[in-house]
Amino acid sequence: MSTLIEKHIVSLLAEKDDKAISLLYDNYGDTLFGVAYKVVRDEDLAQDVLQESFIKIWKKADSYDPSKAKLFTWLFRITRNTAIDKLRSVNNKSDKEVQIDVSDVYNLGVNGIRPEFMDVQENLEKIETKYQIVLEALFFQGMTQQEASDELDIPLGTIKSRLKIGLRELGKIYGTTMSLLLLINLLP
Amino acid sequence: MTEKVKIFLDSDTLEKYLLGDTTKEEALKAERYIAMYPEVRETYNLLQDNLEAYAKMYARATPEGLKEIILYSARKEKAISRRFLRYAVAASVAIMIFAGSSYVFWNQNKTLQEENTMVTNQIKFLKEDMKNQLEDVRNQFIVLNNPDTKRYNVRGKMEAKELKAVAYINPVKKLSYINVSNVPNLPENKCFQMWAEVNGELVNLGVIKQLDNKDNLLALPYAENAIGYITIEPEGGNTAPTVQNIVANINY
Repeated sequence: MSTLIEKHIVSLLAEKDDKAISLLYDNYGDTLFGVAYKVVRDEDLAQDVLQESFIKIWKKADSYDPSKAKLFTWLFRITRNTAIDKLRSVNNKSDKEVQIDVSDVYNLGVNGIRPEFMDVQENLEKIETKYQIVLEALFFQGMTQQEASDELDIPLGTIKSRLKIGLRELGKIYGTTMSLLLLINLLP
Repeated sequence: MTEKVKIFLDSDTLEKYLLGDTTKEEALKAERYIAMYPEVRETYNLLQDNLEAYAKMYARATPEGLKEIILYSARKEKAISRRFLRYAVAASVAIMIFAGSSYVFWNQNKTLQEENTMVTNQIKFLKEDMKNQLEDVRNQFIVLNNPDTKRYNVRGKMEAKELKAVAYINPVKKLSYINVSNVPNLPENKCFQMWAEVNGELVNLGVIKQLDNKDNLLALPYAENAIGYITIEPEGGNTAPTVQNIVANINY
């Protein structure tokens, strides 16, 4: 998304103009819905999460500070946290084990690969899944680094270093775009 | 790159800040480093770009109709907020009026309580005064009408020859009164003062005011063989009688 649209949305949010919600939905809806779905792993729950997230975004519009984070980073934080809260709430209600979701971390498959990225699959062996496991656990499972260390049975120091490598070093090794495209292969 | 920045970048604070998982202190630290060090700022911006690109990989088409639901919810929320704002303003005004009137009532109540205390004290004082006066009048009546009461005419001497007083003593009721009917003029810096010697002790009975006490009976402390004195004292009275200035003796 261009910076111009982002600025326009930010100004609309500041003015509490509900056109901001429409533009946010058009420009970020799919991505945020994907984030919500990735966390809760349920279409209906993901819809609830997205709806709640947009209401929170709308309510907190005044508190957004462009100097502290890009618009997407702010939206991501709200959606991710709402999804994690929703998942915990549902799990508490149904008394299900969160570990069922956590176990999915190890079953990273290639069923969700989009055709447009199929050529990237050749490079799959170049990516060490250990980074993806950590990224996914921290980004989408809502685990703290300590929890990820316990659940994945990986020392805390290793979790920290893999997170760093996952976020920074992959960009350097493969180029930001390339590395991110490779990540898509981890979609279930 | 300074050692400080390297240590910071080697820690996971920036990654945690990116995800919003920092404590308040960590967030403040991250924001400080981002603002102060270009290397940290560049890394943070790169992390943000990577996060967005990474998340977009998981983009999923939103269900049909969800946008309308969300827009409806947002508009409803906006309307609720506006209504809440109106209620809040109305409530604030009501609270201010209530607070103002409460203060006025509290102040009035305080003033009334003070007045009430003052009036109660005055009534108490008046009651006490009235009781004393009635008791005094009753005693005067007893003394003046009792056949056992003895009447003594008191005359002044020396420069107070014109002083005239009548003492009323009732040994049965053990009451004694004096009426000073005429008081000679004295220089402005002098006055008459009455004393009574009771059981060896000299009791100050006060200054005789020329006009006020003319028709009044002044109670004297009763004792067997008591002696009353009138002395000339400096204006305002004295703490002890000036013996050489005794102008009248009253033996009763």
